[in-house]
Amino acid sequence: MAKIGKTLLKLDNVTMKFGGVTALNGVNLEVKEGEILALIGPNGAGKTTVFNVITGVYKQTSGVVDFDGISLGDQKRYQVTALGVARTFQNIRLWGDMTALENVITATDVHKKSGLVGALFGFPRARREEEENREKAMEILRFIGIDEYSDRLAKNLPYGVQRRLEIARALGTSPKLVLLDEPAAGFNPAEKVELAATIKRVRDAGYTVLLIEHDMSLIMGISDRVVVLDFGTKIADDIPSVVQNDPRVIEAYLGVPADAS
Amino acid sequence: MKIRNYWNLRDFGANLWENAGRPVRVAIVLGSILLVGLLPFMGGSILATPIAAFDAVLVYPVGMFVLMSLGLNIVVGKSGMLDLGYVAFFAIGAYTMAYLGTTTNLNTWEIMPIGIALAMIAGVLLGIPTLRLRGDYLAIVTLGFGEIVRLILLNSTWSKGPNGIANIPMPPDLGPLKFELKNQRVFFWVVMAMILLTIWMIRRLTVRRPGRAWEAIRQDEDAAELMGIHTLKYKIWSFTLGAAVGGAAGVLFASKNLYIAPEMFTLNVSILILACVVFGGIGNIWGVVIGAAILGYLPDRIRFISDARLLAFGLVLVVVMNFRPDGLLPRKKREKAIVKREANA
Ligand SMILES: Nc1ncnc2c1ncn2[C@@H]1O[C@H](COP(=O)(O)OP(=O)(O)OP(=O)(O)O)[C@@H](O)[C@H]1O
Ligand SMILES: [Mg+2]
Repeated sequence: MAKIGKTLLKLDNVTMKFGGVTALNGVNLEVKEGEILALIGPNGAGKTTVFNVITGVYKQTSGVVDFDGISLGDQKRYQVTALGVARTFQNIRLWGDMTALENVITATDVHKKSGLVGALFGFPRARREEEENREKAMEILRFIGIDEYSDRLAKNLPYGVQRRLEIARALGTSPKLVLLDEPAAGFNPAEKVELAATIKRVRDAGYTVLLIEHDMSLIMGISDRVVVLDFGTKIADDIPSVVQNDPRVIEAYLGVPADAS
Repeated sequence: MKIRNYWNLRDFGANLWENAGRPVRVAIVLGSILLVGLLPFMGGSILATPIAAFDAVLVYPVGMFVLMSLGLNIVVGKSGMLDLGYVAFFAIGAYTMAYLGTTTNLNTWEIMPIGIALAMIAGVLLGIPTLRLRGDYLAIVTLGFGEIVRLILLNSTWSKGPNGIANIPMPPDLGPLKFELKNQRVFFWVVMAMILLTIWMIRRLTVRRPGRAWEAIRQDEDAAELMGIHTLKYKIWSFTLGAAVGGAAGVLFASKNLYIAPEMFTLNVSILILACVVFGGIGNIWGVVIGAAILGYLPDRIRFISDARLLAFGLVLVVVMNFRPDGLLPRKKREKAIVKREANA
């Protein structure tokens, strides 16, 4: 069990409106170093929107997103990644015409110094960085357990491997915080168990994980804390066993008051 | 399955290359350069062109088309931005040569870096505000840029308006190599050198960080940015390098044609070059080279085509694109070959 440390990410009263739709309504959220925090909620609750606000896809209507003392709202998307936040996508968005290895190598580039001129003239630093990138990417593929697919084009990979490659690519950017958006979507129970183990290993390797997932048993098994969103509002934030029995959560999921059933 | 492999020129070539050792590779490269370099002496053969002299055709359109297509391919093929105003950079290079060549003592080689630099500056200036746009919007803005440059040239006094600039000097001799209009083989060799330099540049960048960034941007720009790629920076680099190649081609073109006028730099040129890229195989260097060479050469070889060059272009494109929608040599990566090699090992 990894030690849980100081607050790494903090959403303070974040509201996100799309025209008339309020996707997030004054959400407060803290992710602590070294934990697996699960973010759950019914369809359309605003879970992916949380990720989109953190990573700069959308600028929040109001509120502050603070990562390690830096306000993410002022950062460009690529800067957010460079600061140490990486994500996966609910609907897989790999670079299909690149190999699995290239997908990860491209992500590792974020912290490299050599630019276009170095690449052109083959400066030693550029060469060395190329070598390091390749080794690191291969290591990550091994860590996630998909190294045998390294030379295959991403678009031709089996669905489950693509989902895992999304995680590998995110790790390629050497993040402190990894945002996983429904990484087990479409998995069968056996694959889910395997993925849960992978996510645990990712955390134990020193990454902090914020996880969106629908499968309760998966969440209960691995998360340290669970935050529940419903219609853009946070309705629960506690350890799994407490959240599981929270009547408001049950109501949000089943659509009826808990005691009525 | 087997038979298709024989016809897959791209895989055939790539296999040959990958399985070759260093000496064989050097031999292939030097041999090919020598063969292509000897082309100007083939004017008496079946390759001969009926109207224009063969060596002149090799320089323009063939060589120039290849060079410009390679430049445009960096923008359109590598990073996936549709640029319909590429002729602007060609024009900037050409007018730099024409203006400085007729008003100063600078010679072609001295003007070349200036022309390239000006084209690159134009690329950056156009790129910073517009490369945030995507797809169709970018195409429209670049198209407008091409027209604006032409209209400026048409209406400025320094560019002598519609009359154009005449008496542009030829390049000074390179040692024993003399530039002549009667026999343009030295021009051809210079174009060849520029093409080789461009290919070297693209190949270098493609396998390293910039190439990966372009590739990621082309395939999914949002994902690229969210994975930490400074997309705008790399798009501007791509645009600027493409501009540099276009500018270099323009300088040489002016110094060979000796006379240039705005009417030579119309939207047609942008579209012809784009057609070469698409026809040969967008994103594939060798496809682009072959595509541009064919589309540059054929109209001069087959007399009836030269009368209706654009019509023939259109027809060839429609037909070929129906059979090979990704061009003569498509970009597709060769995953199968990789897997097969593993299976054999
Ligand atoms: N770009 C957008 N424009 C308008 N509305 C949006 C936009 N993005 C999200 N929304 C709306 O915000 C709400 C929350 O969407 P979000 O994708 O965050 O839900 P989610 O919790 O991830 O749901 P799911 O479980 O289906 O993935 C939805 O009502 C959605 O329609
Ligand atoms: Mg979602």
